[in-house]
Amino acid sequence: MHIEKLQLKNYRNYHKLDISFDDKINVIIGENAQGKTNLMEAIYLLAFTKSHRTPREKELIKWDEEYAKIEGRITKRKQSFPLEIVISSKGKKAKLNRLEQKRLSDYIGALNVVMFAPEDLTLVKGAPQIRRRFIDMELGQIQPRYIYHLGQYQKILKQRNSVLKQLQRRSDQDTTMLQVLTEQLAEHAATLLERRFVFLDLLRKWASPIHYGISRQLESLEIKYSPTIEVSEEANKEKIEDIYCEKFKSIQEKEIERGTTLIGPHRDDLLFYVNHRDVQTYGSQGQQRTAALSVKLAEIELIYSEVGEYPILLLDDVLSELDDFRQSHLLNTIHGKVQTFVSTTSVDGINHETLEKAEIFRVQEGKVEA
Amino acid sequence: MYYPEPISKLIDSFTKLPGIGPKTAVRLAFFVLNMKEDDVLEFANSLVNAKRELTHCSTCGHITDQDPCSICQDTSRDQSIICVVQDPKDVIAMEKMKEFHGKYHVLHGAISPMDGIGPEDINVPDLINRLKDEEVEELILATNPNIEGEATAMYISRLVKPSGIRTTRIAHGLPVGGDLEYADEVTLSKALEGRRDL
Repeated sequence: MHIEKLQLKNYRNYHKLDISFDDKINVIIGENAQGKTNLMEAIYLLAFTKSHRTPREKELIKWDEEYAKIEGRITKRKQSFPLEIVISSKGKKAKLNRLEQKRLSDYIGALNVVMFAPEDLTLVKGAPQIRRRFIDMELGQIQPRYIYHLGQYQKILKQRNSVLKQLQRRSDQDTTMLQVLTEQLAEHAATLLERRFVFLDLLRKWASPIHYGISRQLESLEIKYSPTIEVSEEANKEKIEDIYCEKFKSIQEKEIERGTTLIGPHRDDLLFYVNHRDVQTYGSQGQQRTAALSVKLAEIELIYSEVGEYPILLLDDVLSELDDFRQSHLLNTIHGKVQTFVSTTSVDGINHETLEKAEIFRVQEGKVEA
Repeated sequence: MYYPEPISKLIDSFTKLPGIGPKTAVRLAFFVLNMKEDDVLEFANSLVNAKRELTHCSTCGHITDQDPCSICQDTSRDQSIICVVQDPKDVIAMEKMKEFHGKYHVLHGAISPMDGIGPEDINVPDLINRLKDEEVEELILATNPNIEGEATAMYISRLVKPSGIRTTRIAHGLPVGGDLEYADEVTLSKALEGRRDL
């Protein structure tokens, strides 16, 4: 799939923009603070309805304006359709093929995007919530039902935490409500976990050979899922649910004492091992970076295998951070198949072959010249 | 500023109603000005009377102008079945069906700990007392099919279980007379879960 056209209105530092892209490689060049990342963010937003940089949607609206609008024309499976996001103080509207979609899970998945930004280098070494967010976002874009289940899970979790807080304050209270919510939570937790296991299985299948290639056949990459319960990844939903219920029973007193839910998918983590050693603790910066890159490249293939089309790849300010070998490995992987956007401050770090094929855009103060 | 005070007060009152925005409120207010005085008086009286004369039935919690309500007083109804609903409007919906001949219990809400609504904040204690005093054989839990409604139903069924009264949950699935293709995925998967042999 690719994005043919992008139109912005009152978005960040863009007053009005209307550009068409090449369906292969687009290089966006500009000084700092001119609007390169904003352009990348706009494409990301069209896919996920959320920014990768900020949860505060007001920031996306140009200073002193009422609303911001992002419109894109997408080509997917030989069909062309528009996507539209309007953000105002009243909230956000997402339109797919001109029709407003009230539910997030009805919109997400129309456009698939894989982004690799400097922040993604922290995927391996950063806090666990970065890795959980990664799983949730990527799984969500290939399986919109997952977003629905995740939303339900979070709602029950909130209810359950409120009950635990109340019990913490007055422990003589009746625990029937806690049991009811525990049962509901265990069911939804099992749904999420089962889907995460399937996703990870696919991710591993693609990531290992890619990592082996990028590391010049020197390193093996393993990805391990670290859940808060002891469970085999082959377990089915009912089995997982049973294990959760058992575990919840055994830690009930502790949970009441702490006043919060202590186990569940919202506390799980991903672990990366290079040559059987934990990269997060023992890996060098370079190894962590390579692992993150392998995972991102694996995602491209994973989306292709699940959706049937390659996603759009956004490389925000990272290409020049990779050495020549990694750069050409990356570019070989995507060669001719994946519509790619590269943002950079100068063309110096980018190899010539790429530049020759690419469409070049220059960004200055919220204006773009082809 | 543009309107004399009595009109702006009326507009303000209309905007308090659900589904009425500022423009509709202006339209309604000016419509009232053109109505006959008798009609306006009757309208105002109906508003006040609806509020003053209606109370909640002390037995089932349904809205009524006499206590106990007509449903609770009706001895021809099946006294052994109680249908638990969240809202008085749900009772009306059930009654329109004309198929259910048991009695009701209105909870006026659902349990939601994060909003500070516990079992004692909705009509649950009254329900438990009723089950002790009356000869009830079956409790039908007809709360809404969302997380809070589901949790409320599960909670009540657990409270009632030791007493041996049969508790049932209404089915969820496809609307009758609708098309399969228009059903959303969640409803479809629930309908599939609840499939039965033919």
